[in-house]
Amino acid sequence: MMKKYILFLLLLIPLSLFGQSLPDYSGYVNDYAGLIDGETESSIERISNRIDRLTGAQIAVLTVDTIEPFGSIEEYSIAVADKWKPGSKDQDNGVILVIAMKERSVRIEVGYGLEGAIPDGRAGEILDTAMLPYLKAGDFNKGFLIGVYEIANEIAEEYDVELGDLNVAVPAAPSGSRDSRGSGGIPGGLIFFLLIFFFGGGRIFWPLLFLSGITGGRHYRGGFGSSGFGGGSFGGGSFGGFGGGGFGGGGASRGF
Amino acid sequence: MSGKSRTGFIIGLVVIVVLVVSLFSWFIGTRNQLVVLEENTDAAWAEIDNQLQRRSDLIPNLVETVKGFASQEKEVFTNIANARAKLAGAGSVQETAEGYNELQGALSRLLVVVENYPALKSDQNFIRLQDELAGTENRLAVSRKRYNDSVRDFNRRIRMFPSSIIAGSLGLEKRDYFEIDESARSTPKVDFGG
Repeated sequence: MMKKYILFLLLLIPLSLFGQSLPDYSGYVNDYAGLIDGETESSIERISNRIDRLTGAQIAVLTVDTIEPFGSIEEYSIAVADKWKPGSKDQDNGVILVIAMKERSVRIEVGYGLEGAIPDGRAGEILDTAMLPYLKAGDFNKGFLIGVYEIANEIAEEYDVELGDLNVAVPAAPSGSRDSRGSGGIPGGLIFFLLIFFFGGGRIFWPLLFLSGITGGRHYRGGFGSSGFGGGSFGGGSFGGFGGGGFGGGGASRGF
Repeated sequence: MSGKSRTGFIIGLVVIVVLVVSLFSWFIGTRNQLVVLEENTDAAWAEIDNQLQRRSDLIPNLVETVKGFASQEKEVFTNIANARAKLAGAGSVQETAEGYNELQGALSRLLVVVENYPALKSDQNFIRLQDELAGTENRLAVSRKRYNDSVRDFNRRIRMFPSSIIAGSLGLEKRDYFEIDESARSTPKVDFGG
């Protein structure tokens, strides 16, 4: 009897304290830890905006110094998701990428409606093969850009739409990606990765990126090689806020 | 004189009618609120049940993958099978919590075993299953919190006066919280920071 009473008191306290430490959102990208530069932020916003217009799915990014007083990035992430509610109310198609510098943790939080497109195993795979190599090297710009791009691709495939030309230089998947197909896949990816690394990854190398798309499998659909395709007409549409999507705790986390 | 007393009578009647109507609408309103709170609790429990089932479905896959690398570790597999059976047979919230704890313990021991097999740890299939299991654990944590929140709201409401009267007349009883052993986490964070 007494235990239950204490339990319910304990439940009350965290709710009031923790509510104060959750950040608010001002757009798709919410870089409280100062990890992402202006150009990358624009690129990510272009991708998120495009997928939002096409499908109503909303991809948000949150970087923080610490998740305290929450105990784990999972608890923090679901609290943020419950507060922000990205994705539309009727489709629950939101995704949040959260990174905490002090705890050196990163998480992809997937809304109810996208659990089919991005099951936990796939979220873990995106983290392992696309994002972590960059994050571990300290390149948060590329890490988040490629993460958002991979997620947008999965959503586009789920909704059977094409992302189209985004005017964004997406970094190559680091070599050793499990999705490489054919014997030319891995070495090709490695060569292009090195070239991009040496030349600073600019738009000059679209043809190369396009080719790596052929050898590297299905990841690089859209955005390469078709420069005349609707490029530029997509000026940043205004961000209208998140649509009330629900989350159940799906996704994956990693330490970096 | 009769005019005044008639007016008084009418006023008195109106007051009584207003009181009765107010009482009645409060009664209905509170009753409906209790129904909503009870339904919320049932729905939240259904979600827990859902996730427990999902986890239960994942486990054979996990066990098979581990067996592929460590077939001689028979004890852990038996423990898991027993714990699953116990959970499947659970009836009340209490029994389910106990079954949950036991399965957690068995899964923890399995993951300790896995530490001895580096080839298993880096197997893509296994990594994906671990993510799925961790995802289910997380969903269970979320649905447990939501369930306990709704139980708290419901229990509070049926105990507070005066809604306790209506609750009593409807035969509503306090629900149990879903209390599990927090220390027995079955899935350590997959960490490649090596």
